[in-house]
Amino acid sequence: MTSLPTIAKDTDGPSARVSRRGTPGGAAGQDGLRSALPLMLPALAIYAVFTLAPIALTLWLSFTDSRGLNTSASFVGLDNYARAGFDPIVWQSLGHTFLWLLYHLALAVGMGLGLALAIGRLKKTHVFFRTAFFLPHLVSLAVVGVIWANIYDPFYGLLNTALEHVGLGRWTQGWLSDPLLVLFSVNVASSWQGFGLYMLLFIAGLQNIDHSLYEAADIDGATAFQKLIYVTLPGLSEVMTFVVSLALINGLKGFATVFVMTDGGPFYQSELITTYIYRLAFSAQDHGLAAVLCILLSALAITITIVFNRWRARLSR
Amino acid sequence: MSVRKREWPVALALLPVFLIILGPFFWLLMSSLKTEAEIGQANPFALPAQLMWQNYADAWQIGGFGELITNSLMNLAGVVALTLITCAPAGYALAKIRFPGREWMFYAIIFGLTIPVQAIVIPLYQVLFNLGLINSLVGITLAQVSNGIPFGIFLMRSFFIGVPDELVEAAKMDGANHFQILLKVMLPLSTPALQALVIISALSTWNDFFLPLIVLISPDVQTLPLGLVRFASTYASQFRLVFSGTVITFLPIILLYLITQRRFTEGLTQGALKG
Repeated sequence: MTSLPTIAKDTDGPSARVSRRGTPGGAAGQDGLRSALPLMLPALAIYAVFTLAPIALTLWLSFTDSRGLNTSASFVGLDNYARAGFDPIVWQSLGHTFLWLLYHLALAVGMGLGLALAIGRLKKTHVFFRTAFFLPHLVSLAVVGVIWANIYDPFYGLLNTALEHVGLGRWTQGWLSDPLLVLFSVNVASSWQGFGLYMLLFIAGLQNIDHSLYEAADIDGATAFQKLIYVTLPGLSEVMTFVVSLALINGLKGFATVFVMTDGGPFYQSELITTYIYRLAFSAQDHGLAAVLCILLSALAITITIVFNRWRARLSR
Repeated sequence: MSVRKREWPVALALLPVFLIILGPFFWLLMSSLKTEAEIGQANPFALPAQLMWQNYADAWQIGGFGELITNSLMNLAGVVALTLITCAPAGYALAKIRFPGREWMFYAIIFGLTIPVQAIVIPLYQVLFNLGLINSLVGITLAQVSNGIPFGIFLMRSFFIGVPDELVEAAKMDGANHFQILLKVMLPLSTPALQALVIISALSTWNDFFLPLIVLISPDVQTLPLGLVRFASTYASQFRLVFSGTVITFLPIILLYLITQRRFTEGLTQGALKG
């Protein structure tokens, strides 16, 4: 799970200022380091080896011509960045990734919000619907890929056979073979899995809205629609920024459904940055170009995080 | 929304949505109990003439699901245990001990929160390879723990910051060291945070696909999602096996969720919002 920290300021409290030694807040300097380090060490050791070092090495790889584990790599400057610029599939996969994020926002966040608003009105059946609609989120995205590949199967799949049986046979499609449709079809599968968490977060946000606001609106004779626009949605704005940023980061990481359902096809029409990285790194063994895409992916994730942190900070002011 | 008199109209309107969203589950369950010939009739609304429980027995045996589930459980136990062991002390140190470089260390950890694992996968593979940890459950577990450490530390730190300093001070007066304070004072208070961390790390480990795809090569060490994908592509033409295998994969976690629904929802929501 990814989340976007609003970085809390030093909160040692007054004790830190009063005394410097002997109190927990005040054990500054070498003393503090000596007691903190053993507590930090297990986490730091694992994190340094399996996350920090790989981040640094990725940056380094992007300037080399590395082509696999046992080959020697030499420094090639910005060659890989230039190659990336001239690779049409890089641009395609970048475009698909943006489209993928838009679809995910519209489908998963849209559905999460819509269902949360509906469920928020329920009392007796609240838990039932909340629980039921959350079920898809428990399924691994790879398994979701297997399920939906079968749903989209042109001859035996749920979608086409159901359409045939309710007399909508002319709507049947090659959901995963149509180049214009494929990215959307796969995204439906991902969003089916993703919306449940956003829905829960919106429901939690709804419960935090001050009830007296609704009562005041009632006294003023507000319609249900007005209450939605002037009370509910503004009350959700903080959760909204959080959910949108979470959805964007989740979308950027999208991989498993595409990998399982289409492997980027047909004709690279569902290739995302992540699937292209995998193809370059583990099939083509073109580590240099893959590393450039890794940097691009990280840059996008960092940009999203910073932009949304600023936005959230402004909202909470 | 303050007036809840529209319960039943709303509930009724949600019913078709319910059927569509859960449709894939109903269809899979029903199809998984059909014969191959019945599936071939391509009628999603037809019930099976006879419930073919045999499909499950066949899929279980052919797909080696027993082994896959065992691997997934070992992976999950390892990740959850290591995550707690590493993140709780680190979160405590960052929240309650002043030391030089604390801010700096915190930012280094937060930085990792934003980097998608796909973006570091090439060197990560090399690191695991050099340590002899490719194709090993230990390797995958360490990589997943590291991937979850930024979130785990952040969550524990936010929680510990909320615990009054006076409690720590009092324990210190009684001669307790930081390790004892963490164990005897802080952890007993942190059930909500620990619960959230356990649920979130367990769910993401159980469902992880990307890292296992890279690290776990031979079938006997693979975890459930990866094993199912391999099974489904090997037996793609035998729908009854694919369907029952898929149900075997998601049924345990759904049952577990239904049993622990309230805590699960609470932990997941609170964890996500806090972090």
